[in-house]
Amino acid sequence: MKNRLSSFNGLTLVKVLIYLFFGVFLLLPLVSVFLVSFTGQPINLLGSITDPNILNSTIEKFSSASFDNYEKIFTNKTYFSAVQNSLELAILVSLIVIVMCIPIAYGIARTTMPFKKTIAALCTIPLIVPTFISAYAIIIMFGRAGWVTYIYNSLGGEGMLLNPYSMAGIVLVQVFFFFPYALWPMVAAFKVSDISLEEASLNLGARNWFTFIFVTFPLAIPGVISSALLIFTVSFSDFGTPIILAPKDLNLLVVEAYREIAGFFNWGGAAILTVIMVLVAAFFFWLQHLFTKGKNYGSVSGKPKQQKLNDSKGLTRTLSVYSLVLVIIPVLAMISILLQSLATTWGKNPLPNGYTLSHYQTIFSSSMGNIQNSIVLALGALILSVIIATFVSYFVVRQNSSKLDFMTSIPLVVPGIAFGIALIQTFNTAPLHLTGTALLLIVAYTIRRLPYMVRSTMGTMRAIKQDIEEAAVNLGATPLTAAITIIGPLMLPGIAAGSILVFITVIKETSISILLAPADWAPMSLAIFQNILRGEYYTAAAMSVVLVIIVLILQAIANRISKNQL
Amino acid sequence: MGSVKVSQLTKEFSGVHALKNVNLDIQEGEFFALLGPSGCGKTTTMRCIAGFEQPTSGTIQIGEAKVNHIPPNKRNCGMVFQSYALFPHMNVFENVAYSLNIKQLNSSNIAAKLPIYLRLLNRKLGKYPKPIEQKVMEILEYVELDKHATRLTSELSGGQQQRVALARALVMEPAVLLMDEPLSNLDQKLRHSMRNTIRRIQQDLGITTIFVTHDQEEAMSMADRVAVMDSGEVKQIGTPIELYSRPSTPFIANFVGTSNVLKGTVVGQENGYSVVKGHGFLIKSTNHVEQKEVNVIVRPENIKAFKPGTISSDELTNIIEGTVLVSTYLGSIVRYDIKVEEYQLVVDTTFVPGESILTEGEKVQLTIDPERVLLI
Repeated sequence: MKNRLSSFNGLTLVKVLIYLFFGVFLLLPLVSVFLVSFTGQPINLLGSITDPNILNSTIEKFSSASFDNYEKIFTNKTYFSAVQNSLELAILVSLIVIVMCIPIAYGIARTTMPFKKTIAALCTIPLIVPTFISAYAIIIMFGRAGWVTYIYNSLGGEGMLLNPYSMAGIVLVQVFFFFPYALWPMVAAFKVSDISLEEASLNLGARNWFTFIFVTFPLAIPGVISSALLIFTVSFSDFGTPIILAPKDLNLLVVEAYREIAGFFNWGGAAILTVIMVLVAAFFFWLQHLFTKGKNYGSVSGKPKQQKLNDSKGLTRTLSVYSLVLVIIPVLAMISILLQSLATTWGKNPLPNGYTLSHYQTIFSSSMGNIQNSIVLALGALILSVIIATFVSYFVVRQNSSKLDFMTSIPLVVPGIAFGIALIQTFNTAPLHLTGTALLLIVAYTIRRLPYMVRSTMGTMRAIKQDIEEAAVNLGATPLTAAITIIGPLMLPGIAAGSILVFITVIKETSISILLAPADWAPMSLAIFQNILRGEYYTAAAMSVVLVIIVLILQAIANRISKNQL
Repeated sequence: MGSVKVSQLTKEFSGVHALKNVNLDIQEGEFFALLGPSGCGKTTTMRCIAGFEQPTSGTIQIGEAKVNHIPPNKRNCGMVFQSYALFPHMNVFENVAYSLNIKQLNSSNIAAKLPIYLRLLNRKLGKYPKPIEQKVMEILEYVELDKHATRLTSELSGGQQQRVALARALVMEPAVLLMDEPLSNLDQKLRHSMRNTIRRIQQDLGITTIFVTHDQEEAMSMADRVAVMDSGEVKQIGTPIELYSRPSTPFIANFVGTSNVLKGTVVGQENGYSVVKGHGFLIKSTNHVEQKEVNVIVRPENIKAFKPGTISSDELTNIIEGTVLVSTYLGSIVRYDIKVEEYQLVVDTTFVPGESILTEGEKVQLTIDPERVLLI
């Protein structure tokens, strides 16, 4: 007991505060939304603690709790088809991505493919673009007045090559803008197989193709499957694409949940959809985790591996052309946005009718506020996550606080829209009436992006040996002083790189912004979204370009920093 | 400065006893070595003294005060880490000045704290007060690093880094200096010269020093007294000479230097000698013990080897016959592995140039002075 008391120092207080933060802003909303899925009415758990009247009404609501909402999943056609469509979409996207990426990944990992560097660089482009902008780009390309449609028609085709407002359109966007998430793990997977294994196979009389099919590829399978599961979760949780492209008759979970809450204030309906989303995402996340854990055939051993690169001319050229064609599509999409932002008007023609900078003038004169909001909100989230992530990684790495580790990774499995709904439901009444404030928005951004930040800081923290910190304590510093004067400065590069990534993802964030941002705090993403809804396509495009440029610059800085790291 | 007293120290890590009832009584100004194989608990003992580990039971006293509940940052034990643990973002001067900054930090009010924090975070953000600068330069001069004060520690050689670590620990004028395998990262030659440097500094300052090592040569050559530890227990404490000449167990006999250990039974007394009988040998010793079953310990250099028939008349006690298995020329000495019945004895003989070395398979006669036969 004596020990307990004496160890209650500054750090313990920080730990308690972090637990409190997660408890109130992550666990409480998730628990509330889970309860609401039974009661069908909003539950005010915080209020129940502070106010006996609210407690009474909460108890009353519980007495009427039922499985009605759960039955509705099967009886209500809209819900049922939403679940069905969402699963279908996610499965379709992950299958296509995997099949599409296998040749590219093999090309990058195991051949002397020409333009390898260019292809690898182009593969990062999709990651910087928020999906609702990509979705909008696809409209510019494939829409009724799109330039692809124009080319298609002048080649003799009828109507549209592909209707962007359909399942196919959504799949198209998600495939081309999510594939890098799978590509890099798959490249790594193809590097698992060691040259000695392949030479052994050749030595035993197998041919090259036989070796690939029966040695190289099977060794890569765990990595490939885990990539597929990752894409599934990303596609399943994506809100930006469906909200722009899903036609009225195509129900998807994310869109349906958004409509229930934003359109009808149907708490019970939104809650049950949220619960399903979280459960499905968590399940697949868990599955992916299981896969990467169990069957990684020693790809993490420190032994440097020698790899023979396939340099057959025919194969490498084919792979190169194939990869370039696929990788160029997101680039074309971005160019389309750029052209749109510069166009006076752009009808059904391959190029705009004329060029102007007036759209940029418009956004810099009338929408400066949105840009400002984005930056202020992102900065807020950045500061908050730097502080929390630094301490969390300290507790996890140094004090083996696995509970905290688990808690900070929960946001990974909660789709943005689900988290947004949970927050709205929890904080729209006293005692913590935060819905509609910038504070809740910042907190939401922070929690959502914290896992990435924590991962980055935890890596640097692991690289700092324990005895360096002990040396500081031995020289008289309290653990807190040691953390500030030694650990902090040593972690700076990791923190800097991580925080820029947080900044970028917050600027890109769609679902939380759309759900939670009050009118006077509307960030760029919300402004672009509203512009698209209002049909102000040119300003939407200009704003998108500004957003992408900001992200690009920050990304470049982040890469610089992480390269210079110790 | 202070003495260190460790009483009945026990440490459990999730049920496993890392330390069992360790007792140490280290005098003020003493150079004390904790010697033992890896995993013997020597580092854990040191970390308990430094306060990085909380003992499961037992007390630790530094000077007159019990320190069990004093946090590590208030114990005033300067520690030199095995990896040196120099702060990589600070230069040599800043590393050494760290504890002085902390001391000043703790004694100043909130307003005065800020500039100290600033200069701790970055040397460009604040000036060091004269007394600190003087003290740091003094100690750097002492370890001959004053010319490298503004270097980053990563730019220094291993020996220089070691001296920075030492200076950093010494500048806080610790009650006790703790050193955890400080020489293990240095190459052979440097290790020799650092041994002398450390010993000289310790004598100069008269600072109580606890030195952890697994290298018996290091412990024996530097320390006033050595505690040999094994599997969490202190096996023997003594001066290097005591440990070498009177090891208390076969383990120590073998860990501190090399020994031949034979099992035997005391069969009687004869002219003041104990007579011990083992498998195929009969040996006399001036040593007397109470128990019957004994370990016979003989150092390799205390056995003499002769070609059959060349033994001089004054070497007539304890003659043993054997066969040379391996002979190894080691420069100043020749080491023989000799088979005697079912035993294998190690025998060191001084190499005399011109004299021939016994070859493998050759028969030899060994003699051992009864005064050099230890029974335990």
